[in-house]
Amino acid sequence: MDKSHLILHGLAIKKHAGAGDIAGLIGLTEADARSGLDHAVASGRAHEADGRFILTPLARVILEAEYSDHYADARDDTAFMDAYEAFEVINVQLKSIITDWQTMEVGGQRVANDHSNHDHDNKVIDRLGDCHERAGAIFARLEKGVPRLGYYRRKLLEALEKAEDGAIEWVSDARIESYHTLWFELHEDLLRIVGRTRQE
Amino acid sequence: MSIGNHILLLDGATLPDRTLIGGKAWSIARMSSLGLRVPPAFVITTRVCAHVLEHGSPPADLEAGIDEALSWLESSTARGFGGSAHPLLVSVRSGAPISMPGMMDTVLNLGINDETEALLAAECGDPAFARDTHRRFIELYAGIVLKSPMELDPAGHPEEWRQKVASGSGKVPQDVRSQLRGAIDAVFNSWNSRRARRYRDHHGIPHDLGTAVTVQAMVFGNMDDLSGTGVLFSRNPLTGEPVPYGEFLRRAQGEDIVSGRHTPMPLDDLKALLPDVYGELLAAAKRLEEEAGDVQDIEFTLERGALYLLQTRAAKRAPVAALRIARDMVDEQRLSPSDALHRISSEQVRILLSPRLAPSAADGARIVAKGEAASPGIGCGIVVMDSNEAEERARNGEDVVLASATTSPDDLHGMIAARAIITERGGSTSHAAVVGRALGRPCVVGCGPDALAGLAGKEVTVDGASGQIFMGRLAVERPDAANDELLGAVARWAGARSPIVVTDTPPAGDAVDFDAHAEDISDIFASLPRGITVRGAVFANDDDAVRRAIDAGVAAIVTSPVLPALVAAAQSAREYRKETM
Repeated sequence: MDKSHLILHGLAIKKHAGAGDIAGLIGLTEADARSGLDHAVASGRAHEADGRFILTPLARVILEAEYSDHYADARDDTAFMDAYEAFEVINVQLKSIITDWQTMEVGGQRVANDHSNHDHDNKVIDRLGDCHERAGAIFARLEKGVPRLGYYRRKLLEALEKAEDGAIEWVSDARIESYHTLWFELHEDLLRIVGRTRQE
Repeated sequence: MSIGNHILLLDGATLPDRTLIGGKAWSIARMSSLGLRVPPAFVITTRVCAHVLEHGSPPADLEAGIDEALSWLESSTARGFGGSAHPLLVSVRSGAPISMPGMMDTVLNLGINDETEALLAAECGDPAFARDTHRRFIELYAGIVLKSPMELDPAGHPEEWRQKVASGSGKVPQDVRSQLRGAIDAVFNSWNSRRARRYRDHHGIPHDLGTAVTVQAMVFGNMDDLSGTGVLFSRNPLTGEPVPYGEFLRRAQGEDIVSGRHTPMPLDDLKALLPDVYGELLAAAKRLEEEAGDVQDIEFTLERGALYLLQTRAAKRAPVAALRIARDMVDEQRLSPSDALHRISSEQVRILLSPRLAPSAADGARIVAKGEAASPGIGCGIVVMDSNEAEERARNGEDVVLASATTSPDDLHGMIAARAIITERGGSTSHAAVVGRALGRPCVVGCGPDALAGLAGKEVTVDGASGQIFMGRLAVERPDAANDELLGAVARWAGARSPIVVTDTPPAGDAVDFDAHAEDISDIFASLPRGITVRGAVFANDDDAVRRAIDAGVAAIVTSPVLPALVAAAQSAREYRKETM
């Protein structure tokens, strides 16, 4: 696939990212991503600040227009589109798991989870692991249609295992590549591939 | 009582070893040994699992033992497994001595098939309930035993449900002994799931420890008007008040409460309806709280007027309740202050220190929008409709509130920069709600179409706990140990036990400033001379930094607010003492 498209796509998924942050996602080496980013800046498609890049408004428009060409095959691929629909179903379950991670029911009311009840936290991480295993077949089918999506499967398992080993910020901290951050990026990536927009 | 070498009856006669029967069965046995009524149960011991792990199959005489244990269950309940006018249904659950992830969830209502469904329908006079019980069993068996979760159409027929499951990954047997065998095998297999193995590796738990299998009679909360189901907390888990709290649903099973299909009644109604049962329940709650030394969350079912306790565990609680309960239990002399400090967390203290609207601040204030409260806290600022603008204005020192129809990952930088996040669309699982909570930003979602556009450029106050958005900047107050009695009690306990000084008063002499070296705090800890003073915001937010400072031999920490770091310091003192004793 066109390298300059991949670079812009990487920046659309990971905001304020450096070359190392997007290289894995778009399947390039860090050096290639770096030169691609420099080229994007030179051609007015991205801004750089302190080694972090964001898309210019123009680049966003160009990028949106390119998806239908680049992913025409995926959009015609019934197996891929079925896997995408299955992802949307399991996405609802994932969101409810994350909600139970951030809030918990106490005496019939929802309160913020202060993570002092290890029993509750362990059960939610257990459900996350269960959800991940059930999503495994979906990830495999998505990856078959668009091989670079394997990146998410690998990184999601890494984040899950860190959380399982007790580093609980890897469940949903928005500032790191936590399980939820990566899941969200995967969802965003899929929406762009299939040409849909998020509902809420 | 034991049956052969493999099975123990949980009849309350003895309290068997936890490593032999697992945590869940142990909890049942303990309630039973206190003289409380629990549904009869037996447990297949962890030794059987160890045998399966070693030989690849269960001991030859296990099936005979299960037959005998089932006969005991049948005679204790006056019901029959797989038949009789009063069919016996059971729950099957895994139970390792140490709870761990990846283990099999509970299968409920096992023992139902076409024949027993009809018998159950006749017995309780409610064919719809019997049919629904059948459906729930097939769903659970498919998801948990056959590992092929699916939703079955409630309007469907059992034969259709079984066929749908069979088209996936396996069969749901009609023969009740085969159902039981399938569930028991699934428990043993779950011992070697990826997650369970990793957990044991990580925590140094031997792989040959094994899990037990608990088989317990189901009781029915929907048999008649003297039947029902409910939950009871021995104290209020939201406020901490030392008053029992809970709810009860008449003519219902446990799942009905969870599903929200029916509105339960408060416990006082149970008191009016069945005063004896209410008294028995409260006495049981008191007893269990005394035994455990902590607030209990108890599930119970009433079957034809007889009270059964299904489960008890330490209750989840809101931060304010955690402090109130700890303080009250110290006053009641059930807990020492140093134990009480371990019932709370510095994170709970941090939450209770967060600013709140000053009393009467909202009086007369104009509410300009209202939505679903998605993340608690107070945030004031100028309403900005665009994430880039929010980030830019925040960088220039302005307080901004990010308002948007809905948010997406493109808005993360704006959400980080904002004092609060408000949206027009979406509920408590929307992007704005989920990310707002993850960032600790006050957040109100779903204020309605076009509810926010008119607020651009205006200054508002967002109350993420009530879901209200007020015009203008309202007065907020910061709770502290001086103006809040619960925080005051915690400050006294922790102050008396902290091995070091924690203060917000800048020191007279030198102090090593961690804020100036936020990137490399490990290096600083390694090179700190003993007996010095350190300062920095990191100590207010990170318990680990407090412990490392104590390990490095510092004399004092200067940070603000003081209390979370003081609690962490006092807790570490006790952990240290425990290790050296």
